[in-house]
Amino acid sequence: MAHLVQAIALGLLIGGVYALMASGLTLIFGVMQIINVAQGAFLVLVAMVTWWLWNRTGIDPIVASLVTTPMMFGLGWLTFRLLISRIRGSSPSMSVLLTFGLALVIEGVLNLTAGNKFKSATPAYFEESFRVASISFPKAQVFGFVAAVGVLGVLYYVLNRTWTGRAIRAATQNPAGAALVGVSAAGTAALAFAIGSATAGVGGSILSVLYPFFPASHYEWISRLLGIVVLGGLGSLPGAVAGAVILGLAETLTATYGSLGWSTLVFYLVIMAVLLVRPQGLFGARLREDAA
Amino acid sequence: MLQLKAVVAGYGGGSVLQGVDLECAERTITCVVGPNGAGKSTVLRVISGLLAPTQGEIRLDGEPIGGRAPDEILRRGIAQVPQSHALFPAMSVQENVLMGGYLIRKDRRLLRERLDQVEQRLPIVADRARDHAGNLSGGQRRMVEIARCLMLDPRLILLDEPSLGLDPRGLAGVAEVIHELNQAGTTVLLVEQNVRLGLGIATHGVVMEGGRVRLTGTAAAVRDNPEIASLYLGGSPTKAGDSPWTNASRPPSHTGGPGSPPTA
Repeated sequence: MAHLVQAIALGLLIGGVYALMASGLTLIFGVMQIINVAQGAFLVLVAMVTWWLWNRTGIDPIVASLVTTPMMFGLGWLTFRLLISRIRGSSPSMSVLLTFGLALVIEGVLNLTAGNKFKSATPAYFEESFRVASISFPKAQVFGFVAAVGVLGVLYYVLNRTWTGRAIRAATQNPAGAALVGVSAAGTAALAFAIGSATAGVGGSILSVLYPFFPASHYEWISRLLGIVVLGGLGSLPGAVAGAVILGLAETLTATYGSLGWSTLVFYLVIMAVLLVRPQGLFGARLREDAA
Repeated sequence: MLQLKAVVAGYGGGSVLQGVDLECAERTITCVVGPNGAGKSTVLRVISGLLAPTQGEIRLDGEPIGGRAPDEILRRGIAQVPQSHALFPAMSVQENVLMGGYLIRKDRRLLRERLDQVEQRLPIVADRARDHAGNLSGGQRRMVEIARCLMLDPRLILLDEPSLGLDPRGLAGVAEVIHELNQAGTTVLLVEQNVRLGLGIATHGVVMEGGRVRLTGTAAAVRDNPEIASLYLGGSPTKAGDSPWTNASRPPSHTGGPGSPPTA
């Protein structure tokens, strides 16, 4: 029983972090039907910057997200203006090609500048845990979870309680309708891409503590994130959270009762099973044709 | 108030509008009728800025507005209620209506005032405030769409097929709202497949065919035109030579607006 509770606790902690990482991907897809395959590379880039800051200055990796988040907001905005805006209106497959190219460029630059070796930020609390009864909560996971949930809370607030968020949601649900009330499609898309990229600012900093990484790690991350958003329903933020928690739990429960090597496979089996029943994903919208 | 001169526009390859001339005078209700593919909805899209004209002029009070962005057109007092449902289905009715005031979002007092006015005029906004727009019936959605466009207190409202998919009760409601808005001083330009309904509530009629305006006049004159009656209203066939289409062969610059004498 203790094993089960421990596995669930860890699964939820990891799921929260995955949710943050996937939120940017699903937000960008929701607003502009663009699959940002470079989101994994953004995470690894931020992890590398965070590791470098921690290594050079000793700044706590999770606190370093205060630097990396605005950095990624700016990089996302630039990426949209310089690259993505040029393929607006093309099919989503064009965005996959373009952002995959961007991911390869980031990987190449990181290989040249940081080298092709595994890195991991290991602050003082890295091996410490909080203990509640017989359940242990690794401090790094807890801090990462708290940061992730905090950022998701801010994202939720911005999307639901501010005019910026309403404009983004309006453009997500009905682009033509949004244009008719004066929402600028290009402005909203640039903002959504920048916000989506900024989530990788926090996500990447957390990643640098929780997982060892090297430049090519982005392949593993993007496949995980795509799995999460497809399971949850492309474009749905609650879906990304649900998909992330399922991935977290699948990993820890399989690792506890089976073996670590099977944990990712189990997650993909869950995706396949869900998609057989709900092709649009858990929270994916299948609107009446006349609803929008 | 609104003038279109020799407007050409289209999507991709061909031109849907092939030199449209149209005028709307202040405080009138102008109804554009015509067969499918005549370019009726496209006329509204070029006016509201959703589609840029490739040639010709669009003027509002004498100022050119052709090819301007939709938000700029909105700021000038022209709001469109499109044919396909344009609400945000996962947002509440109130949020949808508030989004209509996106351009005045910084003036909270004005936004509140407008919302109160809209709620008074269209009770559904307050009655169903918390419901998701996607859960409303066709007629209710139409009302919310109209409510949303009223948030900017537009001078000119463009309505695309307001009767589409509505039951008789919904139809009557929409017709009543259009009439009330016009009584309150709003100019209305509507496109309608339901010729009887459209010309019934309009003060002026415009017949389009093949991307051009074929006939303009008062609504009554257009409605009573024998060929229109035979084509759309099931009336008696007309004699050769009485055809309204022959009127259209005159130079476009003579195509009268609602303010001009009926040509039918």
